[in-house]
Amino acid sequence: MTNTPIIETAHLSKRFGDRQAVFDLNLEVSRGSAFGFLGHNGAGKTTLIRMLLGLTAPTAGTMHMLGRPLPEAHATVLARVGAIVEEPHFHGHLTGRENLRVIAAVRGPEAMGRIDGSLRRVGLLDRGDDRVRTYSQGMRQRLGVARCLLADPELLILDEPMNGLDPGGILELRTMIRDLVGEGRTVFLSSHLLDEVEKTCDAAAVIDRGRLIAQGPIDTLLAQDRAELEIGCGQTHLALDVLDGHPEVINARETLDGLHVVLTEIEAAASINTMLVESGVPVFRLEPVRHSLEQRFLEITSRVGEVKS
Amino acid sequence: MNLGITRLMLAAEILKLRRNRTIMVVAFLLTFGVVAIMFGYDAIQHASNPGQNGPAGGLGGFGRAVKALGVFFGLLAASLIGTEAGTADISSGVFRDLVATGRSRLALFGVRAPAAILVTCALTGLTFLLSIAVTFLLAGGSPTPSVSVILESAGWILLGNAVVCAFAVGLGSLTGSRGATLVAVIGWQTVATQLLLHIQSLGSARDWLLTAGLGQLMPVPGDIAGISMAGGLAVAVVAAWAVLPTLIGGWRTHTTDA
Repeated sequence: MTNTPIIETAHLSKRFGDRQAVFDLNLEVSRGSAFGFLGHNGAGKTTLIRMLLGLTAPTAGTMHMLGRPLPEAHATVLARVGAIVEEPHFHGHLTGRENLRVIAAVRGPEAMGRIDGSLRRVGLLDRGDDRVRTYSQGMRQRLGVARCLLADPELLILDEPMNGLDPGGILELRTMIRDLVGEGRTVFLSSHLLDEVEKTCDAAAVIDRGRLIAQGPIDTLLAQDRAELEIGCGQTHLALDVLDGHPEVINARETLDGLHVVLTEIEAAASINTMLVESGVPVFRLEPVRHSLEQRFLEITSRVGEVKS
Repeated sequence: MNLGITRLMLAAEILKLRRNRTIMVVAFLLTFGVVAIMFGYDAIQHASNPGQNGPAGGLGGFGRAVKALGVFFGLLAASLIGTEAGTADISSGVFRDLVATGRSRLALFGVRAPAAILVTCALTGLTFLLSIAVTFLLAGGSPTPSVSVILESAGWILLGNAVVCAFAVGLGSLTGSRGATLVAVIGWQTVATQLLLHIQSLGSARDWLLTAGLGQLMPVPGDIAGISMAGGLAVAVVAAWAVLPTLIGGWRTHTTDA
């Protein structure tokens, strides 16, 4: 049971009239991890979350959460799931504590006993008796997380939780997510802030126009089928001549302070360095190029050209 | 769902309503305020010209207060509170979060009307106590209602308020819009119903208006609809106005995308 994915969908689809919001989605989320769900706005991220939470019905396919089939086991499963969908909503005329009471009442007496602890955990205990309409966007996000914690959740589903947070708030949330994962919980985080997902999550999936196009550990997603080097050097024309014809060099071009070299494998860097130095090229820097998740995301969603243009 | 959770959910629903200051103040003014003004005005009139104006209390004053609470101003308060109960979760966006707890949508819907009825009846009950006090204190020698009439009147007010609350909750849950529901409920009960009651050519079709049913069951002297019907039919009409909107609202809550 514990090895089964905490979220698993098979051939999941959702159509709104003529628009296919999600198509043939096969997703697996491992337990005890922070999982990023990436996609452009309108890619289908929130639609998937809404289907998982029983807010809208899928058109086709199957879903399992916490190892149980949905929607059959919704009541049991969602009792151990905390979720923020799109942005957290509250009754503005109620205080933060009263808003938590409203949700805790629906969850049951145990949840009522977690209200103060949840407020404390998100740093809102001293503002818990203020009306929510006086809260900032960041405080509402934190209150939304507190609401999730009322369930003592095995799984937290957070839809764009960084929205509206200042850098300090983002850092706090990132730390909180890692702490929650450290407690053995799973955090499913939908976002279009790729840098944040890269910093926060262990694994990720990329959805584009309703289709899942990549998923796996962050390191695997970032892994490239070729290596790139930035070489800081002088005499770049000589360096290009030296590298021309090297069997491990796929491509080399001049940059502001040296060369950008594409290799078949990173291990070739040492021999290239030796060749350049022995040929009289002064090498003062040699650095592997690491692509960010953002670059990978743009590559795999085939929108690099659109962004550049 | 066990009784403990039902009680917690009902308390949470009441909390949402009673902490809405605007609605509570307006509903208080429409019930306690209006009846207090009514009695005060009658008392001043009686004091200034006892020969021309009867006492504020007694059976007459009691009857006016009962009608005000059962179908006129009590109805407005019940509409306001019922509409808020029916639409608050949807219009605030909290409904989605409630559904995401896994609790049945019908359970979420099921506590709305009872909470609205309890809050409305707290206000009308307080006003009813004021009415009883004034009825006896300012009777001025005129006849006063018997205990049975007082109890029947309390039951009738409760019935009228409850039905209008259920109607507003059901319609509110259907539309999800506070404004549209308020206009529809109040417009129907205060304008459209009064117009329809006066169209003689509609004949017995008018029996199916809520005011006609409530009028037939009213325990104090007077007439609020100008229509006479069998008691059993009146009960059926009143029940229909509570049950049908509740069924429609429940269906909508159960089936809508959250």
